[in-house]
Amino acid sequence: MELLGHRILVERRGSDGDLERARQWIAELDGKVDAIGLGGIDRWLWLDGTRYEIRDGAYLAEAATATPVVDGSGIKSTWERRVILDLQAKGRIHPSQPVLMVSALDRFGMAETFYQEGYPVVAGDLIFAAHIDYPIRTREELVAIGRRLLPQFTQLPFSQLYPIGDEQRREPDPRYARYFAEAAIIAGDFHLIRRYWPADLSGKGIITNTTTAADIEAMTARGVAWVVTTTPRLDGRSFGTNILEAAVVAALGITAEDRQWPQRVSELPLRYEWLLLDVTRNAKGSR
Amino acid sequence: MSQNLEAVLEGFCLQCNQNSRLRDMNRDWDRVVAITSQGEHATPLWIVCRQGELTLHRHAPGDEADLEVEAPEEVLRAVFSGQLSPTEPYNRGELMVRGSSDDLMRLDIITLLLWGD
Repeated sequence: MELLGHRILVERRGSDGDLERARQWIAELDGKVDAIGLGGIDRWLWLDGTRYEIRDGAYLAEAATATPVVDGSGIKSTWERRVILDLQAKGRIHPSQPVLMVSALDRFGMAETFYQEGYPVVAGDLIFAAHIDYPIRTREELVAIGRRLLPQFTQLPFSQLYPIGDEQRREPDPRYARYFAEAAIIAGDFHLIRRYWPADLSGKGIITNTTTAADIEAMTARGVAWVVTTTPRLDGRSFGTNILEAAVVAALGITAEDRQWPQRVSELPLRYEWLLLDVTRNAKGSR
Repeated sequence: MSQNLEAVLEGFCLQCNQNSRLRDMNRDWDRVVAITSQGEHATPLWIVCRQGELTLHRHAPGDEADLEVEAPEEVLRAVFSGQLSPTEPYNRGELMVRGSSDDLMRLDIITLLLWGD
């Protein structure tokens, strides 16, 4: 990929949820690559200015001592805010549209932007991660609940909090279909969306990041009207925020720990993917 | 002298019942929780959750326990009074909990929402 005048070689390796194998790869690549992105797992969760470290993410990251290991959180907090505001400025979304964020604590920047812009938002963190049928409807309650839960929950095995490996391939569980039905926009992690989406999503929009060509097919089959991937697509697959962050680290030579980071990321040319789907299976793309 | 376990559990039920958020969250969580302190003469105490309201019982209610919690009495007192998060004694092997993973997580969430930082 090309970024800021640099040509960056991106290689994906999937461990299918095997932490030990992933840690071994990270140790082997340490010092040999410019940046390593963690996909399918987060290291940091940002909530209203506080950063919580996920134990399993830290375990992986600490396998490298020379190469920066990033998880996309340095991008999500700035980039995804801009994506929402840009979609709104272009008239593609509107604050009258109800939003279901399947998980908001892993992308607080996006959730906060929706709340601040006046969208009716349901944050489904308790619903989809803990099967507690309790929609979080305000930013204040999201922050209050997150502050209580995150210090302990970030210490749990990541597999208890998020579908990994075989869990990602299970048939959808539609028990919470009504929250999808009530929303015009469904946003957040695509593995969670796919784990719980119902068969009919006619006319709805999806804002997510990592999707494959098969995912787009599955959305089309459900009648999804449009999909936004918050990061650019390459060869039919969108980059995860972790890859984008790793590429930015490689290009700029600074990490999210650097004071210049927010400014430098905000200067990046905003690229995301807008796909208009139709039930005749012709997807039309634009930005 | 510290409160006995029964008084601690009464307090736990009261706090849950007075917390409108927890009552709403638990409105469809109808469960029986058996709590047993390890020791020679230990007999379980029972917390029954119905439509979001928790009640403490000295004798087994009609239904079987969905969730069984077992630990030394001082650990149970600390966990159900908010002095200790369940995760710590659980990770040390002092707290045993049997039940579905969803129910275990809910019990964690209830204690954290009452007393978490």
